[in-house]
Amino acid sequence: MANINELMDGWSYGQQTNIITPNTTAIWRHTNLNTKPWAKVPVNEDDRAEVGKGHEFPTQLFKSHYNMPTYEISKYCSSEFLAWVMAFSLGNVTVAGSASPYSYIVVPALGATNPTGLELPYFSFVQQIRPGGSAVLDEILVGCAIKGWKLAIKNSPGRSSATCSCECVATGQYTTPSGVTLPAVATTHEFNASMVSALTINGINYLTGGSGKQFVSLDASWENNFRPGFFPGSGAQDGYQIQGRFEWGDRSFAVQFVVRVQSGSLEYTNLINQTTGPATITFTRDANNSFSMAIQKMAFATAELSNTDGIATMQVTGTQLYDPTNGLVTMSITTPQSGICQAAA
Amino acid sequence: MSAPVIYLESPQGDEIKEVQATAAILTPYLAAGWHQVPPPSSPAKPVAALKEAK
Repeated sequence: MANINELMDGWSYGQQTNIITPNTTAIWRHTNLNTKPWAKVPVNEDDRAEVGKGHEFPTQLFKSHYNMPTYEISKYCSSEFLAWVMAFSLGNVTVAGSASPYSYIVVPALGATNPTGLELPYFSFVQQIRPGGSAVLDEILVGCAIKGWKLAIKNSPGRSSATCSCECVATGQYTTPSGVTLPAVATTHEFNASMVSALTINGINYLTGGSGKQFVSLDASWENNFRPGFFPGSGAQDGYQIQGRFEWGDRSFAVQFVVRVQSGSLEYTNLINQTTGPATITFTRDANNSFSMAIQKMAFATAELSNTDGIATMQVTGTQLYDPTNGLVTMSITTPQSGICQAAA
Repeated sequence: MSAPVIYLESPQGDEIKEVQATAAILTPYLAAGWHQVPPPSSPAKPVAALKEAK
């Protein structure tokens, strides 16, 4: 018996060299707002549908596959976590700097030019409860990838005003015991909504001028829509088939935000006129910790009048257009953490 | 202080460029499929010459 509070999560901030080789060196340990461990679900099948047995009942079990549920890592926004999420979910990553702080620039990889085709970088995930001789749980999941993420910025106090959660997938390959000694919980440099230092969407500056103080909340999300990764030769664990690749499908990038309505609000005008323009939201904690999401060309798909806590608001859904020169979106992160999404030396 | 530089390889793998690591400069390259590579071992020589010598 163990308390779930004893659960320790760690995962590699460095990428695996391939989907089947764990990265056990560049691992950090983090807290997680999701209190559940990552379940492994081996699936058995039976012969109930087969005729010839003389009855309709099953008589035999067969090992089928590891059906790994998606797993959510949910955290308050920090420079370290956002750098990790964006790097592993979008794929084309650069890092600059020979000492802290490091600057990461990340854009969505293109299938035609990505060195690993439609596959994103893979990471390893460690979960432990009382590791050691009589561990309750001690395993490393190999070949994990980020399926999607949600970024939420809210009109509220505290760390919960800026959160990011990512959905992860795993092939089913694992090793137990993990052989990993998790480090102390990483020190993260968190953001909250008061640290938003730039917020301009489609020509409207929500920090200064007439639209200043009118911004309520923003939700952005990314989805990689991975295709199932079972194929001839994809591999096995404990006699069960596992997945051997995660290839992105039709990816989607969604942005919604809510602003207060006032005389002369431009959101509806921009919608009617089909105005497009860049959208930038930046968090700046200090010179060593910042995050910026620069959407290259945004239009407004819908703008609906609404009510948020008794205030007349407008909920705007964006359409993020692909710019032929600058692509879809650029994430820029400055953080003290080195080696994020970098290959093992 | 000027931004640090990094090295990018073209999507075709036939060219390496040294570029300043700012979002404004990197974005068009990355959007076109360029990706980061380690610095060449001998930066004194032109990178193109290094690749031709291989």
